[in-house]
Amino acid sequence: MHEVLRAEIGKGLRVQLAHPVGHVITLLISTMMYLGLQFVLGQGELRQDLLPQTLVAIGGYWFLQYAGLVMVADLIEEKRAGTFAQSQMSPAPPWLPMLGRLLTASIFGLAVAAVAALVPMLVAQIAIPLRWAALLPAVLLGVNALAFTFLLASLALVSPMIGALQSLFTSLVLLLNGSFLPLELYPDWLATAARVLPTTLGIEALTQTLFEGRTLTQLWTGGVLPWLLAHTLALTAVAGLLFARNHRRALESS
Amino acid sequence: MIEIDALTKVYGAAQVRAVDEVSLHVGTGTVFGFLGPNGAGKTTTIKMLAGLLTPTSGQVRLGGFDVARQRSAAMAQFGAVLEGSRNVYWSLSAWQNLMYFGRLKGLRKARVAERAQDLLTDLGLWERRHDKVGGFSRGMQQKVAIAAALIADPPIVLLDEPTLGLDVEATRTVKNWIAEQARELGTTILLTTHQLDVAQELCDRVAVMRQGRLVADLPTRELLARFRERDRYEIRLEGAAPPGFDAVTREGVTTINVRVSDPREVYDVVERLRAQGAVLESLTQVQPDLEDVFLALVSEPSHA
Repeated sequence: MHEVLRAEIGKGLRVQLAHPVGHVITLLISTMMYLGLQFVLGQGELRQDLLPQTLVAIGGYWFLQYAGLVMVADLIEEKRAGTFAQSQMSPAPPWLPMLGRLLTASIFGLAVAAVAALVPMLVAQIAIPLRWAALLPAVLLGVNALAFTFLLASLALVSPMIGALQSLFTSLVLLLNGSFLPLELYPDWLATAARVLPTTLGIEALTQTLFEGRTLTQLWTGGVLPWLLAHTLALTAVAGLLFARNHRRALESS
Repeated sequence: MIEIDALTKVYGAAQVRAVDEVSLHVGTGTVFGFLGPNGAGKTTTIKMLAGLLTPTSGQVRLGGFDVARQRSAAMAQFGAVLEGSRNVYWSLSAWQNLMYFGRLKGLRKARVAERAQDLLTDLGLWERRHDKVGGFSRGMQQKVAIAAALIADPPIVLLDEPTLGLDVEATRTVKNWIAEQARELGTTILLTTHQLDVAQELCDRVAVMRQGRLVADLPTRELLARFRERDRYEIRLEGAAPPGFDAVTREGVTTINVRVSDPREVYDVVERLRAQGAVLESLTQVQPDLEDVFLALVSEPSHA
């Protein structure tokens, strides 16, 4: 099983790195977009009081956006080329190559998110305190984003409209997850709606530990952590059901 | 060994029976030709065999393992090159492709490397093992796809149109290789092709599908023998056609096709030709090839 997973990740990395131009362009865009956005929102200046929280959110956005893009593009190409069907004619369970693809996508998502956060930190002197308590929310944020990526991938197996759906959802995430303004500045109804989207609850949990010094216990009693877990589990369950349903249909049409 | 029992696939509300109660048993080390016109149900059958499509009823066993109930064990017995798809990653090298597909089949890295070296050397690709497959010719790409299907040394291999679009030399290499796999290594090969000369040359046994049903399943020689036309002879003469015969003359050789009710009547025909001064070059009973048999089978109701 480990051999299959390692093979899948290795193959995924090689296939992606065979065409590096797209990744380089994304890295450039990701570094420039955030500062440009904040400069416009700050009406010609970078507002230091808003930068740290929004920077964490844009990192979450880029992880979700790019992992999803890599995953969906990879699946569509593999279906078209017939390598998806080949990968399913193996003794490995069907979900295992999918997990490998998801982990590969997460590597690229993480790389873009890291660069998208680090460059503005250096350029605009944004200080983000590092706390151990933030580790779990950070991991859960990643898992939450990957659960959504899994859902998109499960839809991509059969839906020709996946590109449009993906654009719609990632745009909503960019607009509402706190990348423009911290969530507490939104009206209550909009903040509640934003929490339904992937990454928002994870970013909320992460910023509360990083900037407000909250402990994990406080996050739990405050409700953010249970909601984040429930949200992630719900996304994973829906994605798993869709995968079970669409995987067979994808093979039949391959 | 491949065992297919009463395999049926019904599609949609219209209840279209794409495959209808097909049963086949293919023995170890056999090159089995699975033929049929477009829309006969071959692809559907192949997909069910490969575990890509769930049968409506019936069973497929590969090496004794049920594809539906023992999928993992069944897939370990099996390698495939599917028609109409690349089968391998064009952005990876031949070596990287084989390493990936071998490990996907559950083999350890060292074992895959050993096997990949053998396969690439056999197929004449060793020198270009680190080149991207996308830059290869069609024949070389097909060789990589075949090597990927065989990387785990599966006892059963499905080759769907393996020589389609290949040049003469590449076709020859692939054909020799298929024959060698079956005869020397005992691999069971299920071959589908529209190139009936390839099927006739390679296959020990041939099945023909038509409208979802098998209309023939016989050893190739037996199938050809059944369609041998005992009443047709071809007479070839040197020079121009003698009068009174329906003949075709091309490049100084005249060919006359005669149909007789009794083989002894051929002597009479030859005597008449001799009387007219014709010089006999050859006299042969017309032997059908697989194309003749195939066309006869798919245009008529079941023959075997």
